[in-house]
Order: sequence, then C-alpha cells, then structure tokens
Amino acid sequence: MSNSIFRGVTRRQFGVRAIAATAAMVALLGVSPAVLAQAAFDKDAVIEIGSLYEPQNLDNTAGAGQGINEAFNGNVYEALFALTDAGTVVNSLAKDYTVSADGLTYTFTLQSGVTFHSGDPLTSADVKASIERVTAEASKSSRKKSLATIAKIETPDDATVVITLSEKSISLPYNLSYVWIVSDTAKSLADSEDGTGPYTLADWRRGSTLSLDRNDKYWGTAPTNAGVTFNYFTDATALNNALLTGAVDIITSVQSPDALAQFKDNADFTVTNGQSTTKEILAFNDRVAPFDNVKVRKAIARAIDDKKLLESIWGEYGTLIGSFVPPTDPWYTDLTAVDAYDPASAKALLTEAGYPDGFTFKLDTPDYDPHPIVAEFIKSELAKVGVTVEINIITANEWYTKVYQSLDFAATLQEHVNHRDIVFYGNPDFYWGYNNPKVIELIKQSEASATVDEQTAKLLEANKLIAEDAASDWLYLYPQIVVSASSVTGYPVNGLNSQFFAYNIEKAAK
Amino acid sequence: MSAIAAAPVRRSRRSWLFAIGLILVGINVAVALLTLVWLPYDPSSTAGGRLEAPSLLHWAGTDRLGRDLFTQIMIGSRIALMVGAGAVAIGAAIGVTLGVLSAFATRLLDDAFAAAFDILIAFPTLLLAMLVVAASDTASLGSAILALGIAISAIVARLTRILAKRVIGMDYITAARTSGTSWPQIVIKHVLPNIWPTLLVNFALQFGLAVIAEASLSYLGLGAPPPNASWGRLLQEAQGTVYTAPFGAIAPGLALLILVIGINLSADGLRDIGDPTRRGSR
Amino acid sequence: MVLFALLRLLPGDPANALLGVGATAQQIASAKAQVGSDLPLTEQFVRFVSSLARFDLGTSFVSQAPVGAEILDRLTVTIPITLLSFALAIILAVPLGIVAAVKADRWYGAVISVVSQLGIAIPVFWVGILLVTAFAINIRLFPSGGFPRHGWADPLNALRSLALPVLTIGIVMASSLLRYVRSATQDVLGSDYLRTARALGSGYTEALLRHGVRNGVVPIISILGIELASTFLGAVVVEKVFALPGLGSMLLLGISQRDYPNVQGVLFVSTLLVLLIGFVADLVQRLVDPRLRDRAVGSP
Repeated sequence: MSNSIFRGVTRRQFGVRAIAATAAMVALLGVSPAVLAQAAFDKDAVIEIGSLYEPQNLDNTAGAGQGINEAFNGNVYEALFALTDAGTVVNSLAKDYTVSADGLTYTFTLQSGVTFHSGDPLTSADVKASIERVTAEASKSSRKKSLATIAKIETPDDATVVITLSEKSISLPYNLSYVWIVSDTAKSLADSEDGTGPYTLADWRRGSTLSLDRNDKYWGTAPTNAGVTFNYFTDATALNNALLTGAVDIITSVQSPDALAQFKDNADFTVTNGQSTTKEILAFNDRVAPFDNVKVRKAIARAIDDKKLLESIWGEYGTLIGSFVPPTDPWYTDLTAVDAYDPASAKALLTEAGYPDGFTFKLDTPDYDPHPIVAEFIKSELAKVGVTVEINIITANEWYTKVYQSLDFAATLQEHVNHRDIVFYGNPDFYWGYNNPKVIELIKQSEASATVDEQTAKLLEANKLIAEDAASDWLYLYPQIVVSASSVTGYPVNGLNSQFFAYNIEKAAK
Repeated sequence: MSAIAAAPVRRSRRSWLFAIGLILVGINVAVALLTLVWLPYDPSSTAGGRLEAPSLLHWAGTDRLGRDLFTQIMIGSRIALMVGAGAVAIGAAIGVTLGVLSAFATRLLDDAFAAAFDILIAFPTLLLAMLVVAASDTASLGSAILALGIAISAIVARLTRILAKRVIGMDYITAARTSGTSWPQIVIKHVLPNIWPTLLVNFALQFGLAVIAEASLSYLGLGAPPPNASWGRLLQEAQGTVYTAPFGAIAPGLALLILVIGINLSADGLRDIGDPTRRGSR
Repeated sequence: MVLFALLRLLPGDPANALLGVGATAQQIASAKAQVGSDLPLTEQFVRFVSSLARFDLGTSFVSQAPVGAEILDRLTVTIPITLLSFALAIILAVPLGIVAAVKADRWYGAVISVVSQLGIAIPVFWVGILLVTAFAINIRLFPSGGFPRHGWADPLNALRSLALPVLTIGIVMASSLLRYVRSATQDVLGSDYLRTARALGSGYTEALLRHGVRNGVVPIISILGIELASTFLGAVVVEKVFALPGLGSMLLLGISQRDYPNVQGVLFVSTLLVLLIGFVADLVQRLVDPRLRDRAVGSP
C-alpha cells in the first residue's frame, strides 16, 4: 500500500463528485446485502465502524470532504430525497411532490411531525434556508453548480416548498438528495450539527473517532442499534488489524485484495462484494499534443493490458470498463471491445498519427495507492510500443493546483468515485479538456428530457461517443468490498457516493 | 573476572566484528556496482505472476505487478548507498562548516549557534526531513537525500564545534595564533587533521541512520518515489500484502539490516582504531 | 519565522483542501479569501506573529477548530507515550548496558550487544508491525491500534492501547541508549579513579556504584534529553502504525493539507517543549556534575 497517510483526508475529497445527470431512476443493483435477519439482535449494541475517510470538518458546504457523507448522510442529516444504497431516489423529508406540465415548477409537501435534534420543528423555511446554504456564494459544495437552475424558492405555508427552475432539470430530486436539511437556527456547523436524522452527534475526537447516538425522538423507524462510532485510520493495514482483533465490527471499504485473504475463508467474518462507481482512469489532457490526436489516445488505450493491470491490483476482484460508465448506470453498455488490448494495432495507430518512433510524456501521479503502481505498469506497457513515460509523483494537494486548476499536465491518473458522472465529458472546461460538440449537446439535452427513457437514450449515445474518441483511458472499475464480523448485518454494501447508512445495522445478541 | 582480564578477549572479538562489518558493507558495494552492468531481470518487466513466492527463478519472489523482487532489492542496494553517501556528504559539508565557524566565533555568536544546533538536533531527523521533502516541489530521491542531509548537518555541526573548540583550546594553537597564523590556515593545518578521525566514525553512523530514515520516510509516503526501488519503498509496498506474501517484506528488510549492521560494526571498528582507550585496557 | 518561511514554500494552497473536483473559479477564490492565502505574504506574516504574541495559535483552515485546543487534546496521547516509553527505555537500557560492558566476555554480554545492534538497524515501523502481529493478532493481548473514544476517562483501556506503541518506541530507544550506557560504563571501567578506589580497598561492585555511576551518568543525561525531546515528534511513524491521535499525526495531516495554522501550532509547541527539556537536562547535569556548574546553559 502506498502513502496511505494522505488517504484519510484527501483521497475521497479529490475523488470526483457527481454532478447529477438524472432524475429518480430505478437502477436495481444485483446484489442483496447480507441482511437476513438474525435470530435476535441487541438493540442496545453500539456498532464500531472502521474507516479510512475522516471528515475534515462537519459542514458539507465548508469543504468537509467525502468522509462526511459516510458519517452524516442519512444518519444525522436527511434531505428531501434519499439516494438509497441500491441507487434509487426515494422520498425522505419530502412526503410528496408534483411537477408542473412545463417541468419548471416543483411543489414539495413536507413530512409532518419532524423535529430537529435541537427541538426546533421542521418547516418550509428550514428547507429554503438549507438549499440556499448550498447555493450561497461562500459555499464550497460541489453540488452548487447542479442547483444553478433554481430560480426561486417559495414557502406558501410551513409544510409546502415551491421551487421554480429557469430551465428543465430532470435530475432535480436526485440533486436535492445531496442537500442536507439543516435547522435555520443552527450555528457553527463545522463542529456541531442540527439535523433530523435517526442519530445525533455525540462527540468527535479528531484523528480518532466520531460517535453518533440513537435519536430517541426520531420521526421515522428507530435504528436497530443504540449508536455507531466511526473509528478513523490512516493506514489500511492498521484498519484490517482492528477488524481482525475485534476492535471494529465493519470496514466500510477494503482497499486491497490481499487484506481479504484473512477474512475470506473465516467463519467469523462476512465479505460482501457490492457495486462500485469508482473508476481508475488515465486522463489525457485532450487540449494539447500529442493527446489532442484521437489516434494517439486510442493507441495508448490499446497498448495497455487493462485485464492484467486489474488482476495485479485487485486479484480476482473488480470489473473492466470500456468507458466512464459503470454497469449500474442505466446508460451502461459493454464497450470493453472498443480499443481493446492490441499492441500491434497500437503501434500502427502511432505510426499513422505521425509518431512511428513513439514519444515521451510526463504522467502526473498522485502519491497514494494504487496510482504509483498503476503508473509503473503503464510505463512498462507503453515502453513496448516505443512510448516513454516519465512518472511524476505529486501530492493530492498539488494535483489539485497543477492538474485541476492550472491544467498544466499531459496526462494524469485519478480515481473518480461518483455515481452518474458521465456529465463531466459534457463540460469542455473540465480538467481533461474533452471537447466534442455532439457530446456536449447530448448531455445538455438529456437534462431537459421529459422522460427517463429519453434521458437514458441520450446519455447512452454520449457514452458510446466518448468511448470511440478514447476521451480518456478508463482502466478499471474498483470493487466495493465491505467486511464485517459475522455477528453484524444490515449494512449498506454498495456505499454509493460514500454513504454508509447505519440505522439498519444489527449486532447479534451475545 | 574483571574488565582488565577480559581485555584480550574483547580485543579479538572486536577485530572480528570489524572484519564482519567491512565484509557486509563490501558485499553491498559489490552488489551495487554489479547492478550497473548486470541484473537478473529487467526491473520493469512484468512477466512474472502476481506475488509469486520465492523460487529458483525468482529468489525473493515477485511483486504485485509480477516484477522480480530480487532484482529490485539489488537496485535498492545502490539507492541505499546513494542515500547514505549523499545525505552524509551534504550533512558533512554544511555541518563541518557551521561547526568550525561557530567554534571560532565570538562567545555570543557561538552560544547562539550552539543553542540552534541543540534545538535542531532535538527535532528528530525524520521531522526535519518531512518538512524539507514537503517543501520541495516534487517528491524525488534528491529531495529525500537533501532532507536527510540537512537533518544530519545539525548533528555534525554540534560535534564539530565541540571537537574544534577542544583543539583550539590547546597551547600550540594559541601559540600559532599569536605568531600570526590566519584562521583558515589554523583550520586546515591543525583543526581538521585533529578532528577528522572522530568525525569519520560519526559519518559512518549517520550513514546507517540515513538509510533507516529513508525507509521511515517511505513508510510515511515521503521517501523515494517510484520507479526508484528503495528498500524503504519495497517494505512499505509489501506491508499491504504482508499476510499473503510475507517474503516481500522480509527480503528488503534483511537487506537493510545487513547494510546497517555492517556499517555500525565498521564504525565501531574505526572508533577502536582511532581511540586506543576503547580497545580495552591501557 | 523560519517556520513561517519554510511553510509558505510548500507548493499547493490550503484552499485546495476545502475544495473538491467540480469547484468553480469563484468557489476557489472564496476559499482562498477565507483562509487568507490570497493575502500578500507580508500581511500573512504580520497576522501570524501578532496572534502568536497573544498565545493564540489560531484556527485550523480545514477543520475550523481552534488549534490550541486540538493540540492540548492530542498531548494527552503524546505525553503519556513519550514518558512511558522513555521510562521503559531507561529501565531496559541502563542495567543491560552496564551488564553488556562489565560482562562483555560472557555470552550474555555479547548477546545484549548483538540484540541492541539489531534494534538500531531495524526501522521503527517494522518493529511496530512485528509487535502487532505477535501481541495483537496472534495472542490478542493488546489492541492493535486506536485510542479509546473517551480517552483517559477510561484509564485502563487507554493504557492498554498505549502498550504496544510504548513497547515499540521503548525497544528502539533502548537499543540506542544501551550503546551509550555501555560505552560510558567502559570509560568508567578503564578510568584511573576506579582503579585507585579498588587499590584503596573498595570492592569492585561498590567502587563501580559509588564512583562509576556518578561519572558515567553525566554524558548520558544530555543524550537522554535529546532522546526524550525527539520522542515527542518522533512518534509520527508509530502513531501511524497504531492509528493514534497524537501530535505527530496532527503534523503529518497538517502538512499534507497545507493547514498552516495546525502545522505552525504543533511546531511552536514542540519547540517550546524541546527547549524546556533541554533546560531541565542541563540543570540535572549540573546538579550531578559539579565540574559543569559554571558552564552556561545551552553550551555544553
């Protein structure tokens, strides 16, 4: 494992967050969690969760990082809608909603009898304030842009919110599933909370643990445990040891197949292989030579044996992908045959593109696992077709400045963690600079679709186009592996957008 | 039953240990030189299987990408020597200069220097190195060496200052000074020749410490980045697979152990030669 | 000031830690304004010094928590580790070092020397990993890492979680300390006054204890001072192995996030502690050794 120190803070935070592209979509994920009810569970058990992703602070509009989604989404804070672990969008604090015929006015009715942890009752004013918190100038939320179509929020009465859009946005409910509903009387959200969720924040010991207690006044179904404690680690091996020695009950996301050897054939542990949306990609700077040439990009894609790479990193786990879209998205289609491994044709393409003797480029590589070892593999593969790779190791922070902001790079490695993020290819200003007017138009139209089928068709078309253009080289899809003590059941196995709903977790009574 | 009676035994054992130390260091240097002209495998060849156990084909097994670990450990010996030599060279250059300057400075300046050295020394090598590595533009083998060199320089400076002051205090230096010999001449003619044997021993010890510190830096993710197969990085990579492939963690660890023990034993031997009082009885 | 300059040399911007991919140019600008990284360096420096003068260590850019409070909290982990491993190292190193010197001709004297050589030559994280494998995973005696949620409110568990880290640092520290003790003892053994004392009729052990300890201990004290000080932050690696929320991990995290207030705070506090320890070591040294009483503090 390399450089896991940075991982706790920066890995997920620099992982790309989705700008949602779609409305409520039923994406049935084929995995059923090991939730078979145990004979008896201890409803007063405290679940110890082990994680590598400690939040930086507790406010998701103040740069808390992805770790806050894991700890707080659905647990401490709820939204109008919830994105379930299966990828569906369901009503949460919104009891019901209607959409006007032109698709521009949404009217939401709120659940009744909901109170915040502070005792303040939920009203439409809280909802309005919460949405405005995300769209405010000082907000650092990555969701801000996806809510830019909101023109007006009205609160005709305490239980009704009316949102008017400036243009159609079929993904509005999906996007609202990211907006925490916070009491409008709350202050200093960086180190405290005031949500409506099934848990309240007990304490946060920085660098170590974050504890949640069951909220006995919760408006919905009570949690099946008395509380959860997130135990944060910066070292994956230390985290595995904690599970092995019984110090934690669950690891939210295992990062190496080798750690699994200890748990797999052991009756004391349960290993679940869920559906991940995390993609390891080799992103070219499509603006500058030689990667502005589609032939060069295709040649590189063909020169790298993705299957061997995936096996090296993940053993028997993980999935090969031919584009940016994982199998769980409705607009997925198997594109692995496009630019499949074929060094001979890679060489031919390079010659056609005017690089018969290859070329040299610098690969900006984040310093944490798996990027350095992936870079070494790519270097060795490309050497076979005459292309020389200079590996340039940088920190996550530098990656942000150099690659993301200054666009000062030829090619880089990055993992993109989010759900439904193909829309990044519709933004020519995004860091990789992919600019295909047809794709941009398709992605724009998909958002204005009247039906989900129409939206799916448009994005499927865009998906095929980016694959044909080898807009980036999509190396593989991570597996999403959760390991728990076998006495613990009922946890989410897919961890979509890093969420980790704790309220159904049951621990067998001793 | 007394120390005095034990002296002959100790002397012979000590010279044995010195010889062993030199041999261990010699093996390392030989392997490092060999890597310049010959390697068992192409270090970037991914032809082997994933995490193969040691075999006749791959003496130390293979890594996750199927590369031969023995080849990488051999290259690691070269990197270890580079790290040690580079860090000590930088540390010596800065440290000896500052130490001598301090020894010759006015009382007030000297005290300030001495306090600064003390504080720097109290900051662990690793911490200083962390800051320097983080401050350099991109992590590289060079930045790790520079960082360790700077950390070492404080230790060398402190030692140099003490040794130099001892020499300067001697009568013949006072005599030389009154007879009009310039400072630089005194340093070159009298101070350095007198203090270098002790310094040399210290350099050897720092060499070993630098190799270990690089391993720790690598563990923290601040050491030599790929594709440099430093032992520290090999250890750190092997840590994630320690349950399925423990050999990957053992082999580079042993290599590191051999070099550092070799260096320490050699340093002890050198000190015995330079300082007869340590050889046993007088 | 050196601190300040060094930190600003770090490439990258603290504002980055607050932003994710998807941030717009306007969000980037507002994040910079918030952490003050858009101000001229001189102004950042003035702010830094003026707040330091008020003993205000500022507020973290990233967590937005007061730096001083977090340091105090983390010291409750770091100080016990430091003191306990220091004590362990002395308990191990002093008797063993003396034995290694006095009984150098016996097999156990030689074994001690060899083991201490190994202790010096193995990277500390490797010792930690070995101990975890042996004592936490195989025989489940101690936890493999972490620190209890309520800290010292649960003293037994807190102590248990510090057991392996303390053992790790203690062993490594003892190995290097042992070498100093052994050579100091050797110096004493070879010294004239010891021979004189014996000639005057003292027993060997009595002579060693009465005269040897007093003379041998002087150089050891200054070494101890340095070792103690370096344990404070030298524990970074061990904190990582054992997932402990100490000062070292705060520093490492601060560096990677470019969270300057946190890094400055940790370095400032540890410099103070280092100076304090140096002062105490000097004081003790002079109490023990009359020859040093007229020397200036800080220039041995």
